[in-house]
Amino acid sequence: MVRLFIGLCVVGVAAPAAAKPIAFADGTTVMAEYGAGTMQELQIFYAPQFDYSVGGGHVDFTSDVDGHREHINYARLNWLAHRWNLDDAQANVFVWGGAGSAIGNRFDGTRIAGNAGVQVDYETRRVYASMKSDLQRSSVFSDRIDTLQLGVAPYKHDYGGLATWFVFQARHYTGELHSGIETAALLRLFKGGAWIEAGVTDAGKVQAMAMFNF
Amino acid sequence: MKQFQLLLAVTLFTVATSSMAATIEMTVNGLVCAFCAQGIEKKLKKLSATSEVVVSLEHRLVAVSLKDGQDIPDADLRRALTDAGYTVKAIARSETPIADVRERLKQAQP
Repeated sequence: MVRLFIGLCVVGVAAPAAAKPIAFADGTTVMAEYGAGTMQELQIFYAPQFDYSVGGGHVDFTSDVDGHREHINYARLNWLAHRWNLDDAQANVFVWGGAGSAIGNRFDGTRIAGNAGVQVDYETRRVYASMKSDLQRSSVFSDRIDTLQLGVAPYKHDYGGLATWFVFQARHYTGELHSGIETAALLRLFKGGAWIEAGVTDAGKVQAMAMFNF
Repeated sequence: MKQFQLLLAVTLFTVATSSMAATIEMTVNGLVCAFCAQGIEKKLKKLSATSEVVVSLEHRLVAVSLKDGQDIPDADLRRALTDAGYTVKAIARSETPIADVRERLKQAQP
């Protein structure tokens, strides 16, 4: 109950990005994402247990509306609030929260920034769906990224083999980072502990991500 | 001479039996991706009695071969899988060598 309360509080405050923030117990996850020129993020997390990880990251936002920028360094706690292990599927609810510092070209000096987010996902070996919301907030900006991903695998991969996914992504930015809904078609490949994903948005921009678990 | 042959036969049988690796096969729910398998493999390899681990997403199967003369209690196996974030549905033990389990899984691939 206390954990649920803490989790809900974390969601209520303020942000990260990418696949799953916790890969496995005693595992380290390194993720880098290039979000079509609007968002770039680097994260590193270590999970002492399967249900939480700690670490930090750096994210850059560049508005394609008015050109404003924010650069944020943060520390973060990720928590697997709930997992459903089904016969041939798995579903998860992750929440996260943390704090850091931000600089930007719309304000002077350094500001304290809070971050929080939530991700709900469901996957089998053939279909994948994920909804994620990340928020970075300070006294002078509030940038949230909402991402929906739907994936289909052309074949069922097994451990040690190459997994291939075709992913449709829809993304909405607040904070005047981007107007409208940005959509992207992505190809996702992973094998062992390495994952790469790349594609193009509806505006013809590159969207890419790499993740390594070890 | 007959006594020597009998002693030799008993000795060979004992050596063969003790060196036969026991295998534990577990049916696991939630096994859908390579990262799941990676985490489970890492967790089980930390157990001192573990010799080798085989994971099949297709068959929702995790197989552990044991070191000679050693065993892992069901409770410890369940705890290891739970601590890795997964749910054990069934546990079965056999004297089937892990190589045979691997071959059986390979043959059963669709």
